[in-house]
Amino acid sequence: MARSTTTTRSPPRHPCEQGKDLTRRAQWPARAALLAFAALLAVLAPAVSAAREYLQLFVAEPYLELHTGPGRGYPVFHAVPRDESVDVLFRRTDWFKVRTERGVEGWASQADMLKTVLADGSPFKFELGDQAGFSSHRYELGAFAGEFGGANLISAYWSVSLNPQMAVEVAAGQFLGRFSNGETGDLGFAHVISADTRWSPFLTLGVGIVHIEPKGTLVVPENRTEQTAYVGGGIRYYLTRRFFMRAEYKAHYIFTKRNQNEEADEWKLGFAFFF
Amino acid sequence: METGIRVLLLTAALALLPGCATVRGWFHHGKHAAQSTDTQAGSPSGTTGPEEETPPRVIEPQVERRQIKVPRIKSSNVELGAFYGVLSIEDFGSNADYGITAAYHITEDFFFQGEAGRSRAGRTSFETLSGNLQLLTEAERRFTYYDLSLGYNFLPGEAFLGRGRAMTSAFYLLGGFGATDFAGDTKFTVNFGGGYRVVPTDWLALHVTVQDHVFQTSLLGVTKLTNNLEARMGATVFF
Repeated sequence: MARSTTTTRSPPRHPCEQGKDLTRRAQWPARAALLAFAALLAVLAPAVSAAREYLQLFVAEPYLELHTGPGRGYPVFHAVPRDESVDVLFRRTDWFKVRTERGVEGWASQADMLKTVLADGSPFKFELGDQAGFSSHRYELGAFAGEFGGANLISAYWSVSLNPQMAVEVAAGQFLGRFSNGETGDLGFAHVISADTRWSPFLTLGVGIVHIEPKGTLVVPENRTEQTAYVGGGIRYYLTRRFFMRAEYKAHYIFTKRNQNEEADEWKLGFAFFF
Repeated sequence: METGIRVLLLTAALALLPGCATVRGWFHHGKHAAQSTDTQAGSPSGTTGPEEETPPRVIEPQVERRQIKVPRIKSSNVELGAFYGVLSIEDFGSNADYGITAAYHITEDFFFQGEAGRSRAGRTSFETLSGNLQLLTEAERRFTYYDLSLGYNFLPGEAFLGRGRAMTSAFYLLGGFGATDFAGDTKFTVNFGGGYRVVPTDWLALHVTVQDHVFQTSLLGVTKLTNNLEARMGATVFF
C-alpha cells in the first residue's frame, strides 16, 4: 500500500511485458482509490497513526487505581502494581484514560497520575487546573446574564491572555427589552490588577458596535447599527478547578448619527473557565 | 602622625600578602587543587611532592542521561451533537423539535452547554374553535431558540447491556438562559431541566433530556410566563 508510484529508473523491458503494462495501467484507478481510502482511514482514525506516540508512565506508588469512568463516583475495578507501566491514551477533564501492559483500559485520576514517573525516573508533570492556572493561563471563555440599557442581556466572551495582567477580549451579546431588541459586539483590552489572588479586580477598555431594533406599535423606527466605545471594570472570583465567577460593569458611549450621542450601562454576572 | 599610620598599614599589608599568595583559590580551593594535581600527574617530570599526589580516577562516568520527550496528551473535553424530540409550546400544542448542542466539560462535575433548536407552533384551541381565524402567520409560528447552560453531573453509574457489556452513565442537571424567537418577537428565556447520559464508547454519548423553556409573553392579551416543556433524545461525539 505504501509503494511509491513514481520511479526514477525504469528496468529494461522484455517485449512480452507490454501486455502486463496495460494491465498495470488498468490497475491505476484501483490503486489510487486504495490510496485515497488509506488516506481517509488515516484522517478518520488518528489513534491508529498515533499508536506509537502514547506516553509511557511507570507506577511509583504501591499501585495505581483504575476507575471505570472519568469521575470519583465510578468504581475502582483494577489496580496496576508498582513498576508496571501504562500508556496514556487521552485526557478528559482531570482524568486520564490509560492502558496497562496487559491491555486493560481504565481511568486514573489526576492526583494519582502525579505520583507516576517517566521512563527516566523523573516525575510526570502536566498542566493542572488549579488556582495557579487561574493566575496565569492562555484562554478564558464565559457566559453572562445581565442588563444592557434597561433590557435583559445574554452575553458571552472569549479572551486571550498576553501575560497574567493583560488580555484581549471579544464579547458578543443579545439584549431583549420592552422597547427594543438588539445585539452588541465588543473588542478590547482587560487589565487584571491582582492576578494571583482569589478576588481579582480588572479594568476594561475597548470599542464595539451595537445593532438596535426598536419595537413600536404605531410608528416603527428604523433599525440602526452604531459604533460604540466602552470603559469598565469588574471582579473575578476563583471558585474551584478551572472555574471562576465574573461580575462586570461597562459604560458604553454610542456614537449615533443623530445630534446627540447616547450612553448605555451594561451590568452582568456569569461563570467562566480558563484553559 | 599620618606617616606613622601609613607605615603601620603598609607593614600590615606586606605581612598579609605572602600569606594570601599561599592560598590558591579563596572559594574553590579544593577544585583548583584537584585540577593542579591532575595536570601535574600527567607531566612526565613528576617534580611534585608525595603529599600532593592523589590516585587517578578509576571510573570515568560516561553514562548519557536518556532524554524523554513527553508527547502531547490529547484532550477530549468537547462534545458536539444533535437532538430530536417533542416541544410543547404553551397554548400552541406539541410539535417535533430538533437542534444541535455543543458542550465543554470543565471538571468531572461541571460542563458548559450551548444549544440551538427549532420547532413549529400548532393552532391554539381558540383558532380551532373559531374556524378560519389565524392568530399568527406561518412565519410567526416558527419557534427558534438558543441557550447557554451550566450543567452538573450527579449519580454517576454504569448501565449494563447483557452479561459482558457495561457503559458508564450519569444524570445531569441543566440551568441557563437564552433567547426565543417566536410570534414575531424575541424573548429572554430561562431554561432548566435534566438529563441522562450513557457513554457506550470513549467518543460517543447518548442523551435523554427534559427541559423547560420559560419566557414572558402577552401574545394572548394577558402578560404571563409561559412554560414550554421539551423532551428529546440526542447523540453527541466527544472531541
